[in-house]
Amino acid sequence: MLELDALTKTYAGFEFGPVDATVDDEVLAVLGPSGSGKTTLLSVIAGIVAPDSGSVSLNGRALSGRSLEDRRTGLVFQDGALFPHLTARENIGYAATSGGRIDELATLLEIRDVLDRRPATLSGGEKQRVALARTLAADPDALLLDEPLSSLDAPIRRRLRIELHALFDSLDIPVVYVTHDQRTATALGDRIAIFRNGTIEQIGPPSTVLREPETRFVATFTGNENLFEGVATGGATVRVGDVELRTSEPVPAESAVTVCLHPSRIRLCDPSARPADGSEIHPTNVIRGTVDDWLNEGTEYRVHVNAAGTSLALVTTVRPPAFDRLAIDAGAPVQVAIPPQAVHLIPHAQAEL
Amino acid sequence: MFPAKSRTDSGVGRFDWLSITFVLGAVLLCYYLLPLVSLVVSQPPDVVLRRITQPDIVSATTTSIVSASTSALVATVFGLPLAYWLARADGQIKTVVTALVVLPLVLPPIVSGMVLLTIVGPETVVGRLAAANGLPLTRSVAGVVLAQTFVSSPFVVVTAKAAFESVDRSLEYASRSLGKSRFTTFRRVTLPLAWPGILAGVTLAFARSIGEFGATIMLAYYPRTMPVQIWVSFTTLGLDNAFPAAVVLVGIAVATLVVLNALGQNPLE
Repeated sequence: MLELDALTKTYAGFEFGPVDATVDDEVLAVLGPSGSGKTTLLSVIAGIVAPDSGSVSLNGRALSGRSLEDRRTGLVFQDGALFPHLTARENIGYAATSGGRIDELATLLEIRDVLDRRPATLSGGEKQRVALARTLAADPDALLLDEPLSSLDAPIRRRLRIELHALFDSLDIPVVYVTHDQRTATALGDRIAIFRNGTIEQIGPPSTVLREPETRFVATFTGNENLFEGVATGGATVRVGDVELRTSEPVPAESAVTVCLHPSRIRLCDPSARPADGSEIHPTNVIRGTVDDWLNEGTEYRVHVNAAGTSLALVTTVRPPAFDRLAIDAGAPVQVAIPPQAVHLIPHAQAEL
Repeated sequence: MFPAKSRTDSGVGRFDWLSITFVLGAVLLCYYLLPLVSLVVSQPPDVVLRRITQPDIVSATTTSIVSASTSALVATVFGLPLAYWLARADGQIKTVVTALVVLPLVLPPIVSGMVLLTIVGPETVVGRLAAANGLPLTRSVAGVVLAQTFVSSPFVVVTAKAAFESVDRSLEYASRSLGKSRFTTFRRVTLPLAWPGILAGVTLAFARSIGEFGATIMLAYYPRTMPVQIWVSFTTLGLDNAFPAAVVLVGIAVATLVVLNALGQNPLE
């Protein structure tokens, strides 16, 4: 177990921390924009940077004050940081205790064919596999990865993401995976920590962080474009401008909230359709509107809808079959159905953070 | 019919500003090359061979090579740690130390010799102690080495510093995170990667030591090095007598450039 206790570090005008977190034998994906402190976190854990205060411990062993080489924290860099004067085999052998271990890791990471090549002749994906093998060869007690997939082409990134998921599952050690890519974070992380200005803004399972952001920043950073100021009207309803929406949970009356509707959780339907009896969607949560614009995002469409008679502008994602069936185009009339469970409310005290 | 010639084929293209700069620069190139060619051509090979086998030249060549090798070694032993420290340190002190390191490069060599005499001269504490223990620091090979090391060691430090700086720090962090000590990391990662640059610095220091005259003549007129021998030959027997020895030094200088280019790390380029 990796324990971070009130870590702080100030340098060059940047204030990191205080950061508290506990990472069991799981993958903690650290997600955040550039300059939010993600790499500083890894540097402090690895011992590259000494914190101003706070402590780090691994499996009950205090790491504070220990040098980099005594920490047993495996570090994988963005570019692999392979030793350019050594072959892939020699890179892995640099840390491995036996030749058998090299072969074992080479088989695991499918790099047997490149073992006798120098890093300069390896592709980006092969370099990262060798870097991972080299790190694992030292049998670390924790694994720290600093955006290892960020410089790879999309197809290789997708494939390695799957392989890393399987690899991490097989490791019974804490893994801290820094990334600025939400897809990688949700794919690999058992939990996600959203970093902002050197501190953790929210930490939790991916589904919770995505569906129930605790602040406007988290909501925005995780792709939530539908954020509106609203007021709870008592019971399980909230008013946004002229629109009243049902929520799944009661909300204290007159409380100011930020209403958060994740694009993937609201859906478009035919303008003439009526909510069926027994539908989870209350009639008030069905809003008429017209399509303002749409974007093809490869696997799905992102559709912008102006709600009729209100100033509400909503964004939703639509799969290709539904997109074709609804004949979506600019100006087309549509209905937006918002399940009460999709209406997430951020109390104003937190939303302003 | 469309025009068949491009703009770059025209007379305007041939006489662009780049060509003019080259023509002006060629004057300087001729200024470098002609005296060297003239020197080599003016000396019949049999005269050069006969002269360089004479005892005074053999002795001076031996002294130069031994002392230059020793001073290059001393500069390496003490210069590499300093270069590594400079490459990895931060803060104002690094700027001050760097300025101190290049000081011998900008000091006139004869002044360097005078400065050294105030520390290791025969009348100083250090000079007296060393002489009493059988190691005189002036009029000795040790004096030659001291003078040469003073003026040539900055080449090792400055060049090796650049070589160490070119080694990505993340490689060192990666090595240490794999459980290797700082020393092992230096020996197995940093040093091999910086080695061509370091070797270039050592070669430059050797070449500078071979040609060192000003500081050397202040500290050690005897035993004579090649430059001192050339100067003595010139002042006592004339220019013609000094030329053959000069040809030998030109040969060493050319060999140095060949080595630097073979290393692919010529810091002068």
